[in-house]
Amino acid sequence: MAACTGNAAPTANSITLQVSGEREETAVYRAIVTAYENDNPGIEVKLIEVADRDDHLTKLATSYAVGDPPDVFLINFREYSQFVVRGAITPFEGYVDDAGIDLAEYYPAPIEAFTYQDALQCMPQNVSSLVVYYNTDLFERAGVEEPNAGWTWEDFRATGETLTQGDVRGIGIEPSVIRLAPFVWSNGGEIVDDLDEPSAFTLDTPEAREALEFLVSLAHDGLMPTEKELAAQDLVTRFITSKVAMFLSSRREAPEFREVRGLNWDVGPLPIADEEVGILHSDGYCISSLSKDPDAAADLVAYAAGQQGQTLAALGGRTVPSLIAVAQSGAFLNPTQAPARSEVFLDAIPNLLRTPVIPTWPEIEDLAHEILTRAFYEPGYTIDDAIEALRAETGGLFAEGVDQLQ
Amino acid sequence: MKRWIRPLGIVIACGLFVLPLLFMLTGSLRIPGLPPPDGFEWLPDQVRWANYSSVFGFVSLWSYMVNSLIVVAIAVPITVLVASWAGFAIATARPRVQKTLIVVSLIALMVPLSALWIPRFVLFKWLGFTDTLVPLIAPALMATTPFYVLIFALVYARIPKPLYEAARLEGLSPMAIWRRVAFPLGRAAAFAVAVLAFAWHWANFIDPLMYLSSEERFTVPLALRALQSLEPTNHSILLAGAVIATVPPVIAFLIVQRAFFVRALDA
Repeated sequence: MAACTGNAAPTANSITLQVSGEREETAVYRAIVTAYENDNPGIEVKLIEVADRDDHLTKLATSYAVGDPPDVFLINFREYSQFVVRGAITPFEGYVDDAGIDLAEYYPAPIEAFTYQDALQCMPQNVSSLVVYYNTDLFERAGVEEPNAGWTWEDFRATGETLTQGDVRGIGIEPSVIRLAPFVWSNGGEIVDDLDEPSAFTLDTPEAREALEFLVSLAHDGLMPTEKELAAQDLVTRFITSKVAMFLSSRREAPEFREVRGLNWDVGPLPIADEEVGILHSDGYCISSLSKDPDAAADLVAYAAGQQGQTLAALGGRTVPSLIAVAQSGAFLNPTQAPARSEVFLDAIPNLLRTPVIPTWPEIEDLAHEILTRAFYEPGYTIDDAIEALRAETGGLFAEGVDQLQ
Repeated sequence: MKRWIRPLGIVIACGLFVLPLLFMLTGSLRIPGLPPPDGFEWLPDQVRWANYSSVFGFVSLWSYMVNSLIVVAIAVPITVLVASWAGFAIATARPRVQKTLIVVSLIALMVPLSALWIPRFVLFKWLGFTDTLVPLIAPALMATTPFYVLIFALVYARIPKPLYEAARLEGLSPMAIWRRVAFPLGRAAAFAVAVLAFAWHWANFIDPLMYLSSEERFTVPLALRALQSLEPTNHSILLAGAVIATVPPVIAFLIVQRAFFVRALDA
C-alpha cells in the first residue's frame, strides 16, 4: 500500500474512527463522518460503533495487541493515560498548526487535561461538568426554591429533606470519587496529595473528611435511595420515574431525559461549602501511533473537534462543546430544548478542577467505588474504615501508575 | 404420593425457567417512553405490538439475523461432523490412547476463552479474515468446544463393542463403521450437539465484538447489546428485540426435539 511510505502526502483514502455509545448517541458521529466525507471527496471514514463503554475499551486493547487499532478513537481523559504511557498515541500537538487550530479558542481545562509532558495528546471534543439535575414538578409540589448559584450544602440538605416525601427521595448521588471530589474541593480539601504524581488519597484531612461525612450523612439520613431500592432501579431510572428529585451527573444524561415523556426537568449548579468549584468531564479524539496515515487522521480530528464537528455534536445534546464559540452558540444553548438552563454548564467551566491522569486511575476509581458504596450503605462501616481502606488498598496502584508515567 | 413428586419437580423447574421468558414477553409489549414498572407486571395496561417493528428502526436487525443465520448454517453441520468424528476416534481408540485423548480434551475445555482472544486475532489478521464472518465460523472446524467431542465419545463408547468388532470383521473401514454403525446409533447425541452448537454460535458475543467492525456484517448479539444501551424507558424495545432473537433457537429446538426424545428413549 502506498500509505506505508510515511513522509508522502496522505494517500490512503480510508480512515477508521472508533466511538462508543448507544445508536442514538452515535448518530452524532455518523453525521460528523458524513459531513466530513462530503467536504473531503476521496476520503472514506469507517465508523466503528461499540455500544458499551467497557466493550469499547476491550476492543481497543485487543486491536492494539494485534497491531490493528483504529486510526482515531474517542476516549475520556481519565482513561487515555494508559494509552499514552505505552506510546500508543501520536500526540496531536504536532498537527495543531497545520490543521489551522487556535487552541486559545478552546476552554483551557480540557486542553490541559489532555496534555502530557507539555504536548497535547488528544483533541478534546467537549467540556462537561457535574450539575444537579432536578425534577421541576417535584420541586413545585414541595414548594421549594430551585437551585441557584451560590447555594450551600445546608440549602442542598434542607431542599433534599423537604423533597423526601412518600416514595420520593430528595437526593441521588453515586458513591464514587468523581462525585465526592467537588465536595472535597469546595470545602478546601484535596482528594490526592499531588495532582501530577499522586501517591495516595488525602481524605483524612479535616476538610476532605467533612465532605465525605456530609455525603454519607445524606445516605444515612434517608435522603438518598437505599441500597435495596437501587438494586431494584438505578439512580437514572429512579430520576426519570420521579422517585429521586435531585440527581448529580454530567451532561451525558440530557439526550436521554429529553426523550422521557412527562418528565419535566432542568439543571442547577452544584451546592458549595466555601468555594465554587466543579469537576471536569471530557472526551478527546486520539490518533493511534500505529495509524498508517496520521496526517489524514489528524485532518479528521481537526474537523470533528472543530467548528462544524462540534456544532453537529452540540445539536445532539450529549456534549458541552470545548470550542468556546460553539458552546456560546444556539447549537448548545438552544432555549427550546431541555434543560432550559444549559448555561449552568458554561458557568461552571472557569472553576473546573480535575482528577489525576495516571494509567492506573480507572482501577483506583473502581476500588474507591466499592469502598464508598460500603461507607454509604453498610451499617457499622465508618468513615474511618473507608478512609483507611482507601489508603491501604490503593497505595500500590498509585505507585504503579506514577511509575509508568516516567 | 411418590408418583407425583417427580412431575411436580418438573413443573416447578419449568416454571423457574419460563418466568424470565414470560417477563421478556410481557415487558416487550409495554409502551416505550413510560417509566419502567415497579415490580413484575403480568400484562401492561396498554399492549403495544408496534415495539416489534420499532426494533428495526433502532438496529438493522434483519441484516444481523441473516449474518447470524449464515454463521449457524455453516458452523452447526461442521461442528456436528467434526465433533462426532473426534468422539468416534476417542471411543474406539486403544485404552491408553483413549485416556490421553480424554485428558487432552478436558485440558482444552479448561482453557479460558479470553486467553485465546489475542493469539486467535493475530492468526485471523495474518490470514486476512478480520471483519469477515470466517473467525466466527472457524471454531466449528475444531468442533466449537471439546465438550461436544466428549458427548459423542461418551455415547459412542456405550455402543456395544461387538457391533464395532463385527463391522470390522466385515472389512469396513473406520469411516464406514462411523457412518453405518456409530452415527446412526448415536443419533440422539448428534441432535443434542446440533442444538447446543446452534445456541452457542447464535449467542456468541465476544467474537463478533472483536473481529467485526462493519455494521453490515454484525450478528444478532451485537444488536441486543446496542438495544441494551437504550435508556430504561425504552427497555420494551430491547425486550422485543430479545424475543425476536430467541425465536430461531426455539424453532431449531422444536425441529429436532421429537427426534431427540424418541432416539434418547431408544438409547
